[in-house]
Amino acid sequence: MIKTTDELEPVARLQGVTKKIGSKTLVGDLTLDIPPGQIFGFLGPNGAGKTTTIRMMVGLISISRGDILICGRSIKDEFEEAIANIGAIVENPEMYKFLTGYQNLRQYARMVPGITKQRIDEVVELVGLGKRINDRVKTYSLGMRQRLGVAQALLHRPKLLILDEPTNGLDPQGIRELRDYLRRLCQEEGTTVFVSSHLLSEMELMCDRIAIIQNGRLVDVKQLKAVGNATVPMGETLFEVDNAEAAQELIGSGTLKSGGLVVEAAREEIAEINARLVSGGIKVYSIKMLSRSLEDQFLEITGGEGIG
Amino acid sequence: MGEFAALIHNENIKIYSRVRTWIMLVILAVMSALFPVLIYYTSGSDSSIELWGSFQITISIAFFLNTIFTVVVASDSVAGEFTWGTIKLLLIRPWSRSKILLSKYISVVLFSLLSTGVLIAFGFASSAIFSSSTGEGMATAASWSPAEYTFLIIMCQYIVLFLTAAIAFMVSTVFRASGLAIGLSLFIMFAKNIFISIFNPERYEWAKYLIFTHMDLQGYLVSKTGPGGVSLGFAVTILAVYYVLFLLVSWMVFRKRDVST
Repeated sequence: MIKTTDELEPVARLQGVTKKIGSKTLVGDLTLDIPPGQIFGFLGPNGAGKTTTIRMMVGLISISRGDILICGRSIKDEFEEAIANIGAIVENPEMYKFLTGYQNLRQYARMVPGITKQRIDEVVELVGLGKRINDRVKTYSLGMRQRLGVAQALLHRPKLLILDEPTNGLDPQGIRELRDYLRRLCQEEGTTVFVSSHLLSEMELMCDRIAIIQNGRLVDVKQLKAVGNATVPMGETLFEVDNAEAAQELIGSGTLKSGGLVVEAAREEIAEINARLVSGGIKVYSIKMLSRSLEDQFLEITGGEGIG
Repeated sequence: MGEFAALIHNENIKIYSRVRTWIMLVILAVMSALFPVLIYYTSGSDSSIELWGSFQITISIAFFLNTIFTVVVASDSVAGEFTWGTIKLLLIRPWSRSKILLSKYISVVLFSLLSTGVLIAFGFASSAIFSSSTGEGMATAASWSPAEYTFLIIMCQYIVLFLTAAIAFMVSTVFRASGLAIGLSLFIMFAKNIFISIFNPERYEWAKYLIFTHMDLQGYLVSKTGPGGVSLGFAVTILAVYYVLFLLVSWMVFRKRDVST
């Protein structure tokens, strides 16, 4: 896919977004750019303000201060133009239970011009609802309703797909499928996906980049997968050696820890350090990457605090 | 963006896809057809049953039912979306909230017209079958023919229904609770006569400005002045002001509301 500068403009820009109810600040001064063509994770413990932020992005609740631009259009002042670029599920995918899955999709299809029957069938195919689409939603399991929810969000080929806790209530198989078709969507149609969750392990598997939010404030934005020729991040590596002090002297850096030397080094450097240790007469028993998991980092960043 | 008619079509589907709606319409049809039969068989053999007389009685009774059913539909229109949680998916489409609310209101009015049509069709057909004379010579208060007079009664009854539905629609939009909307508007429907007798506009000047005093316009068919000695024009103005107020409140609340159910 050839990327033009136009496409690289953020799909969504949150500019100092604040939501206050009474004296309580639910989301405070949140500034975030969501680049196109990525799966962007929005991570935070329960009650951190994820859903509140998403509700503001889709115009369900008002923004106390700041603004949100979707493809350059303000959701406040140009709602209809801005929202046309968004497909979303906010919290649970609730549908008209007395209608069939197909009739539900027809409802949303009628509200946007240019959605053909063919497109509806295509989306039903994509989410794998098959023949059950003609059953009433009443008879659907949570997983099937989740699929139908994704289907309605994709109907109008939105540039930005917003999913709020999409894996809630899905079985491992369902989570895997969701991950696969979000990935496909991102790669084949160039859709940007903004997905919130409080489950780190999931985010790690699904996302290209994540923003961490706590107590309504943005804590950190992390790149998860090396994209293109971006540099591989440095990691901590433990060299288990017979004489750690001598090793430290030889290398000239690192800290002593549990019968070994911990060195901050990039991948290429590890082999080099090893060679220097061995030629310096130090016995190396093992080399272990200590790169902390995202979970450790997450807990560290958010301080493992409870609901604020 | 898109066709507004599609929004109304969507709302209609939501109303008519539910079994409840059809049960209500069937009950209304059966009741409208049943009253002329009851009148015919209970009035003794010596008196003759006139078509228009029988039809007018049927209208006045069946309109109670018609009002209740319309109020049920009006109350569920907005509150239902909140209860089901579907409001979240409805409001994230490229349509302003005003237009979505308007499509809902129009679908409610269309339902009220349909149910009134059902009432008239079944009531009139049954009255025509179960009557011994057309009653063309029936005396009416003014110079109207029985058909004209009946038509005016239907209009007056429909105005009461129309306003009650607007109240239900407003309460449903403001409180997002269909039970409250149904209860409150039916309370008003039944209690308005009690209000009129307590706050008699003959005694209290301000009672002239209450909506209850003027909802039923049938008095003007026989008299030039209404409750408190006001004219028909005054009563219609009061009703119009209240009606606009109800809709304005609905619109303002719906447009500004934070949806966080």
